[in-house]
Amino acid sequence: MASVTEPDSTESRHAIQRRLDRARDFVEDTEPEALAVVVVGSVSLLAAFLGFLLSSSLTILPFSVFLATSGYGWVRHQELTARALTLTMTASTILILGLITVFIFVEAWPTVTYESTTVFGVSVPGLRLFLETKWDAASPPIRYSMVPMIHGTVMVTLIATAVAGPLGVAAALFLSEIAPVPVRELVKPGVEILAGIPSIVYGFIGFTILSPWASDQFDLVGQGTYLFVGIVVGLMALPTVVSVAEDALNSVPESMKSGSLALGTTDWQTMTSITLPAAFSGVSAAVLLGVGRAIGETMAATVMLRNNPRIPEPLYNVFYGYETLTSLIAANYGEATGLQMNALFVAGVILFVTVLFISIGSQMIEARMKRKLGGSE
Amino acid sequence: MTQDSERLADRVSRRQFLVTSGAVGAVGLAGCSGQSNSGEGEATEADTEEAVEETTEATPQESSGGDSGPSMLTAEGSSTVYPIANKGSSYWNSNAPSSDGEYWGSNDEGQVPGWSDLGEPDMRLADYFASLYGFEPTGQQATPPFATSIALSHSGTGCKSVRDGLVDIGNSSGPITAELGISESKAKENYVDHVVGRDGQPVVVSKDIWDAGVQELTGEEVKKIYQDEITNWSEVGGPDQEIYVVGRAEGSGTDTAFRLNMLGDAEASMEGVDTRKGQNQQVATVVQQNEGAIAYMALAFTGPQVKPIAINFDGTTYEPDKDAEHTIFDSDYPLNRDLHQYTTITEDTPSGTDKREAAFINMFLTTFGQKVFVEDNNYIPLPTKDIEAQKEKLPSQA
Repeated sequence: MASVTEPDSTESRHAIQRRLDRARDFVEDTEPEALAVVVVGSVSLLAAFLGFLLSSSLTILPFSVFLATSGYGWVRHQELTARALTLTMTASTILILGLITVFIFVEAWPTVTYESTTVFGVSVPGLRLFLETKWDAASPPIRYSMVPMIHGTVMVTLIATAVAGPLGVAAALFLSEIAPVPVRELVKPGVEILAGIPSIVYGFIGFTILSPWASDQFDLVGQGTYLFVGIVVGLMALPTVVSVAEDALNSVPESMKSGSLALGTTDWQTMTSITLPAAFSGVSAAVLLGVGRAIGETMAATVMLRNNPRIPEPLYNVFYGYETLTSLIAANYGEATGLQMNALFVAGVILFVTVLFISIGSQMIEARMKRKLGGSE
Repeated sequence: MTQDSERLADRVSRRQFLVTSGAVGAVGLAGCSGQSNSGEGEATEADTEEAVEETTEATPQESSGGDSGPSMLTAEGSSTVYPIANKGSSYWNSNAPSSDGEYWGSNDEGQVPGWSDLGEPDMRLADYFASLYGFEPTGQQATPPFATSIALSHSGTGCKSVRDGLVDIGNSSGPITAELGISESKAKENYVDHVVGRDGQPVVVSKDIWDAGVQELTGEEVKKIYQDEITNWSEVGGPDQEIYVVGRAEGSGTDTAFRLNMLGDAEASMEGVDTRKGQNQQVATVVQQNEGAIAYMALAFTGPQVKPIAINFDGTTYEPDKDAEHTIFDSDYPLNRDLHQYTTITEDTPSGTDKREAAFINMFLTTFGQKVFVEDNNYIPLPTKDIEAQKEKLPSQA
């Protein structure tokens, strides 16, 4: 408080001074015992983390101290302890996710360096992963190209989106705008329950029924097609798309629709020119979620595909399905050793980055649409 | 009402985050769920799917390796060798009396196979085999002269553990040269290879192909099919149909063994493969569901829909029939692989096998051991001449 009256201090010094003052006030205002509890808890948790990093067998000691102090603090100084604990939990979540990310990248690195290529005299690590198309982990030249798997993932995702997108949005539109209330009340929870069916169930149906059927009907050599994996994954993603898109459509204010109807438009015109554009951010987020699910889908793809990385000819041949990024990991983790194992982590990194971008992309669409529609911002 | 839409949009965003992170989680889960029993895959016994490390140790006071007697014998490695070694270990640790009849010795109700070959010793099981190498019999149930413990991992892990001295015996379904990437001479210098049994690997075709008359192929034809030089069944006397070639996951023991024994090189290319599966069960299902399929797999998974075929190697036809002159169960059928137990050569044991290891391994190299531990586990027992050759590697008996 005193610092504010000083005339010649700069802005930043002001800010720092204020913060220090506030901290001092806080320390002065708080009971010393409560402070001690929080400090002991934090220090012991930090020590436990250090012990964990060093894989020490004594980690349990500081961790039990942390638990004990938290318990004591909860009983005696609940408010302060809760504040400290929630902060700790947030920090731990970020830290754990960060460590996992770092681990995936570190594990992937040996294969990335193995697949280096020289471009204009400069060695670029990992470039060959994307320039060549050959995956062969057993016979030389050993290559871990990610191109077949990226191609597979793109194929499956495109087909799945083509299935889940139109069907999902149409179903959402019907449920939200056209269906009578009892139907909506019954169907919506039903659709949401469908989202909870484990993917292996779909994969199992695909493996035992759809794949052999497709191989018979289309006269294919053996079973496993991107077409049917895409369809199955699309059906799996459908409930998510319907549910999220319906929420979005439902959230369009009734007054906007009424206004449109009052101007003499038909129901259908209102839907296409008012409701859908207004809910566009939510609907596209729903489709993007479906895409995210298609990219990450593992079990159904693994059991239905051929697990033999290669690129079909021609490129758009959807009747032969070889491998996706996720199924590569699922099909090979048990047998892989050395560089092959690291190559699986490379697939993990690619998935990680892709899903990250999709997530950011959907956030950006949403923010943009909010600005455009003149929401709270 | 803006507020209303705002709140719902927030809900969407939260749900979206959850589901997106769910998608990431699914990727992560791929590493944990799924094929829980992939491993080497050949092991057919239910007991291989049990606990990872089944310690069948019966005498804790001796396992400490202290003053009370010889230390516990430890082994680790391949899931394929595990059923043999673990069953042997269980029998050993229970140290059944010669009057048991079911597990050891004979009585009115029966006797164990090969009992008369052993000279009907009046001693308990472990007591007898240990005494051959100079250990004192204990004469007590569940108290062998030294305890044994078999752990389950992978061939490569077993070889590494025996190399680093973590265990006495390393179980491996592939040769140690391939598992550790060392030369033949270096392996001879440091390790002794005890072969205790064989694992059979028939080539199978789907039922329609079998019915169409393809019941025998030459080794060369199989090789060409797997290397994409033959792509139609009509080229090998079958119907005009493309061949659906099924293989096992790259880098698995079975895949390596097939490349080595059938294609001639552990690093031979397999251009012709259409589908790779991680487990024998999956291979069997895929062959069952598709027409025109060919695959290789463990013996135990063949059936009426998944037919083993005869293979002709250099004029000798190995039939999938136990009574034929040459059968795919023979040890000279090229696709059969040895199941190894490796011991290390150290300064203390220049012969490579100490008395404890010799006593235990010797148990498998008897008619009794071959029948009970190898054949009963669906593996192929060694012929007499091979047993003799393996026994040569053990130190002389007391």
